[in-house]
Amino acid sequence: MSENTFTQEELQLTELAMKIAREKGADKFRITLNRSTMDQIGTLDGEIDKVTHSLDRSMSLCLFVDGRFGTFSTNRLEADAIESFIEKAVAMTRLLAPDPCRMLPDQSRVEKGAGSGLELDLYDPLYEEMTAEKRLETALAASLYKTLQKGSLMSEEAEYCDCLFDSLILDSNGTRCRHIETSFEYSVEVTLADEAGRRYSAFWWDAAPKRDEMHPEICCSKAIELAKAQFNPKPRRSGSYNMVLDTACSSRVLSPILKALNTYSLQQQNSFLVDSLGKQMFHEGMTVMDECRSRGFTGTRLFDSEGVATKVMPIIENGVVKTYFTNTYMAAKTGMEPTIDDAVRPHLMSWPKPGMDRNALMKECRNGILVTRFNGGNSNSATGDYSFGVEGFAFKDGKITHPVREMLITGNLIELWKHLKAIGDDARPCTTRLIPSIAFTDVDFSG
Amino acid sequence: MINDKTYYLDLFKVSDRLLDELTREGLRTGGDFCDLYFESTTCSNLLLRDGQVASGGFHVDYGVGIRVLKGERTGYAYSESTDKASMLNAVRAAAAITTGTVSKTLDISNRHRFGKPNPAADRYPMIQDWRTADISTQVPFLERLEKAIREKDQRVIKVIAMMSNQVSDILMYNSLEEIKYDTRPIGSISVSVIFSQGGKTETKSVSRSFRSGFEMLDDELFNDIVMDAVHGIDERFEARRPKGGKMSVVMGAGASGILLHEAMGHAFEADFNRKGQSIFSEKMGQKVCDSSITIVDDGTIRGNRGAVNYDDEGVPGQYTAMVTDGVLTSYLHDRISADHYGVRPTGNGRRESFRYQPIPRMRATYMENGECDPESIIASVDKGIYVDEFSNGQVQIGEGDFTFFVQSGFLIEGGRLTMPVKDINIIGNGPQALADIVAVGNDLKIHNGTWTCGKEQSVPVSCGMPTVLVKELTVGGE
Repeated sequence: MSENTFTQEELQLTELAMKIAREKGADKFRITLNRSTMDQIGTLDGEIDKVTHSLDRSMSLCLFVDGRFGTFSTNRLEADAIESFIEKAVAMTRLLAPDPCRMLPDQSRVEKGAGSGLELDLYDPLYEEMTAEKRLETALAASLYKTLQKGSLMSEEAEYCDCLFDSLILDSNGTRCRHIETSFEYSVEVTLADEAGRRYSAFWWDAAPKRDEMHPEICCSKAIELAKAQFNPKPRRSGSYNMVLDTACSSRVLSPILKALNTYSLQQQNSFLVDSLGKQMFHEGMTVMDECRSRGFTGTRLFDSEGVATKVMPIIENGVVKTYFTNTYMAAKTGMEPTIDDAVRPHLMSWPKPGMDRNALMKECRNGILVTRFNGGNSNSATGDYSFGVEGFAFKDGKITHPVREMLITGNLIELWKHLKAIGDDARPCTTRLIPSIAFTDVDFSG
Repeated sequence: MINDKTYYLDLFKVSDRLLDELTREGLRTGGDFCDLYFESTTCSNLLLRDGQVASGGFHVDYGVGIRVLKGERTGYAYSESTDKASMLNAVRAAAAITTGTVSKTLDISNRHRFGKPNPAADRYPMIQDWRTADISTQVPFLERLEKAIREKDQRVIKVIAMMSNQVSDILMYNSLEEIKYDTRPIGSISVSVIFSQGGKTETKSVSRSFRSGFEMLDDELFNDIVMDAVHGIDERFEARRPKGGKMSVVMGAGASGILLHEAMGHAFEADFNRKGQSIFSEKMGQKVCDSSITIVDDGTIRGNRGAVNYDDEGVPGQYTAMVTDGVLTSYLHDRISADHYGVRPTGNGRRESFRYQPIPRMRATYMENGECDPESIIASVDKGIYVDEFSNGQVQIGEGDFTFFVQSGFLIEGGRLTMPVKDINIIGNGPQALADIVAVGNDLKIHNGTWTCGKEQSVPVSCGMPTVLVKELTVGGE
């Protein structure tokens, strides 16, 4: 196995920590051990700008002492430092108010098949072959700055990064879950100037758990294409338009919904989806699956932060809310069925037919505004009212006509989703949330 | 302030000689500059929810960040252990940046040298260190806070209150043989209150944060938070989305300063300008707004969340005027950008922790007072909106385009505040908005919320503003 995963000495520290926690008076506990090694090469205008190497190790501890609960962490992993850390942690926990709802998850819910950490096939042995020279070569080869006639290109700032992450969860009930993954990522931001000196920037990236699945060579040209497309924006009159959200930004209208389904928000009455479980809240074309256990894909996990087994399940099915995200604590507090603590890899399914991308959605809508980037704004977690700054392109007869910027969309998320027209099939596999391009009708734009 | 070098050397288990040996090793393969940043941080928090403080904890972070500069290139590595072998490994990883040729070298000249050990400045009042303060006395503060907020307004249905503090011991040493040390406290309280009226709910969030010791938990702070938590709730329930469009916008004094931070301040950070990414890249010395406007970034306000005795490169905290009487007079510099532009660093080289290299970051950013009476500014607007609380601002550095969400405000009709407004955005372009400021009030207020800037890394900042009139911005609405 990799020399960058846990050492035997580090694994033995967990045994020591468990022993000390018991000795100091903890009734129950959960220990999470993390280790990550990361190397980054930054380039500026085609030349090396920065080189970074890091190794992080930390131990997190959830303590249950005399009916009380506290959370603690440290990166000082020497034996004597751990003893002092746990002693202080137990003492602090005793100063908190008792909370009978704090408990470890029942063993029947805990993941049993994550012993090696390699089950999801997210570890790439080629990571071990990465040397300083190879990283440098990858970063420089992906840059286009020196091969382009500069002209309008003011700046090209890019970064190559690879990482190995190892995580282990243990608790006093016998839970033992491990997760190991590698990641390879390349990102680039370019800034272009038009003839009047006005600047336009764009960002593109690619990432994958396996080195050969990551394609840095496409990123610079894509970013330049995106920045150039923004030249000469024209104002667009305020009004109600069809809206196609590009997959690069479409998660902005789904993320607040997933957050509103978390029992923390529901219990605090800070959610616009209170009392929505089992109810038709959205358009029947909306189905979100949690594809959390797909081998080899970015973002998949066999267990959540408590070690509870994840489950492939619908979150929203044909517009009906099927799941609240309820951890062990919130389940005890609210009387709800425990699930997992959050969505892992939500996938918004295509509708009404598969295979559509943003161009197909524009054709479906004929006229409207394609939104490619959000710029600030907010949605009210209690009401679902939103107001977001957006940028993108006007389109007519299914084809882009000109860029638009400095526009706002306003409305309510429940209402927005009632105006769903179609969902594409073009989510990028390098993202942890698989949200494709989406088309809506009757969206209020102002600008 | 702990003004004892031995305390820091012992804490990190290093000696003067070892520090020197490490920086020499950093330069051995041709580096121009090497610095070491040791950090030992303890942060703790208590959370009140559902009427009791039943959740809390603390977190320990320790390590050293090592940077080697070759020209404008940066090699960076860190170690969570300060034993000699681990640090030498990290130094050598950082020194890998020296391979290959570079077009220029970093000019280590007098403009980079900053005095002897430790500062005369003492900007973090800390009579009682949070690390030795009794937690059992902090719990009742939160409990009393909840009780007082509920008593003030019967519509309160939930109170969530978080108290957190962090104390960092910092030791810095560099290849100029400068040694600096600092102990940085920061204490924060955040309260989120949910109100219910007629089947509708509204949320109000309030926070206060200071670079101060445990003694900050006094009656004045308590009353300030309670009053702010229940302030303006009637208006929130009445508030509606106004009709959108282009209109005059009056920014209220205080928290509106976040717009200054996001929409203008970032564009003045020298790294964006050095790389040609900022809209202000070629405007140094030029007039960028009305001559009544002076915009500063200030690290010298005692107890302020953005205060620094030294920045994270060992450069003293300063008052930096970015725009003076309407003219762009300074960017915000770290050592690299200062060398690039041939000026002295401004004390803006900051970092989240030893895990990050320092980059130009703001501290307390605000606009200096103008001469207008705030009431007369509002009275001068026939149709527009008045905004006193923003959130969720975002800016595109290159283009300067920004969007800000309005938490609370009012319509202005015929020179008077009328209907409360909410859930709208203001959108515009930073340089254009700056040029469109036509009146500056004489009521500058620094806002002491838990402002945290997230440019690549998180650092504590603050902001402020007098009442200001922008003649036209786009307001999103119905």
